[in-house]
Amino acid sequence: MLNIQSRQEGTSSVVSIHGKVNFEVTAQLREVIRETVATAQPRLLVINLEGVSFIDSSGLGLLVAARNSVDKSGGRLHLCCLPAPVKKTFDQTNLSNYFSIFSTEQDALRGA
Amino acid sequence: MPKGLVLVVDDEAPIRDILSFYLKRAGYQVLTSATGVEALEEMGRSRPDLIISDLRMPEMSGEDFCRQVKGDVATQDIYFIILSAMEGTASRISGLALGADDLIPKPFHAQEVLAKVTSAFRLIGMQNEIKRQNRELTTFQQRVQAEMALAAAFQKGLLPKLPGAANGLRYTHRYLPAAGIGGDIYAVVPLPDGATALMIADVSGHGVPAALISAMVKTSFENQVRLGGGPLEWAQGMNEDLCRATLAEQFATAWLGRLDPATHRLHHVAAGHCAPLRLAGGTLGGLRRSEVLRGRGSMLGIDPQFTYTLQEAEFLPGDRLVLYTDGLVEVEREDRTMLEEAGLRRICAELPAETEAAAEAVLTQTLAFNHPAPFEDDVTLVILDRIV
Repeated sequence: MLNIQSRQEGTSSVVSIHGKVNFEVTAQLREVIRETVATAQPRLLVINLEGVSFIDSSGLGLLVAARNSVDKSGGRLHLCCLPAPVKKTFDQTNLSNYFSIFSTEQDALRGA
Repeated sequence: MPKGLVLVVDDEAPIRDILSFYLKRAGYQVLTSATGVEALEEMGRSRPDLIISDLRMPEMSGEDFCRQVKGDVATQDIYFIILSAMEGTASRISGLALGADDLIPKPFHAQEVLAKVTSAFRLIGMQNEIKRQNRELTTFQQRVQAEMALAAAFQKGLLPKLPGAANGLRYTHRYLPAAGIGGDIYAVVPLPDGATALMIADVSGHGVPAALISAMVKTSFENQVRLGGGPLEWAQGMNEDLCRATLAEQFATAWLGRLDPATHRLHHVAAGHCAPLRLAGGTLGGLRRSEVLRGRGSMLGIDPQFTYTLQEAEFLPGDRLVLYTDGLVEVEREDRTMLEEAGLRRICAELPAETEAAAEAVLTQTLAFNHPAPFEDDVTLVILDRIV
């Protein structure tokens, strides 16, 4: 089961994800991100991955698309709190350099 | 347009006449029969939508008539209303137990019969609509299944033919798409200079969209190879191709290699794909230590600015290469662990010498490790042996 929470921090939005991010849940996650970006129009979108136990290629694709759509609307996307297995997936696919990744949510919010 | 065909069955002519009168005035077509036998004959000529039948009739009782109608697949869907002079709940229940759809006690008011008929035709209309939609859905489903089967056959045709042989290489594959059709693809292309171009790719997502892109990945790879250059140029060219052609969330992980038997070198590029394993002397069987051909590079189709890095490895006669997609090693077991690269390396530490047998051993041992969890993603495994 995937648990997604979204909240506002000033002009920033924080989306926290808990669970396994794979093909079955990407539709659900895509909708939350889309709605957050559309309604809050945040200058900074922080996605907190602390509770993510596993992410597959469809999950990575979703994050890439999220970055692109935030870029287009003039905002920024920061990722934070990647657990070791998730960090490994990002390293293997060399996406660690594609995203701005922070070790804490505070840092990710300050990095704006 | 008439509202529908009603068959009235009663041995008493006045009842037939009065029902017929009211029903016709309300816009229904009406047929009448004095007995069940007559009614069955009538039904041989035309099929009513609804039957109103008395229970107590000579020759054939209403019970028997109802049983016959409801017992025949050709007529069982006809709405059946019993007219019964018998009083009491018990007789009503027995009427419905015969399979009748409704029951009107005698003596009746014509308006009551009409109201019941109207409501019955509403139900009949809805049933017919559901049946029509069911037929449409079934037809649609059959067409989709047939098209999927064709597409799956087409996709299998995109894979190299087995047993595979090219420029001193022998190879085989195991290809298990999750949904009959999938996003995995691989290619082995012999080059004029005696080298061989290799590619394995895994398109994000499943099913038809992934399969369409996988066909494009193969075409793009072959085009790039034809243009010359090596894995680095191929990866960059394929990345540009895929960036142009795919939607935001679609991409492919890939591993590309160029194996030159003259120099015993394998040049390769990783694009977000799981690193292949090289088993030095693997074609001889026995215990082998695997080398992970790791590279660093992001998947194809996300950003045309992505850059890739060329890696180099030794590949001698007798060496074996194990290419795979992540679906092979990322099945979550009951204890929530997965085989992963480390597990696959353990399996590959001791494989049979023969190519086919080695592929079978990897698959069998992976399934045994996962048991009872099935593969969830597309799975591709390629064993490629250098024999000379």
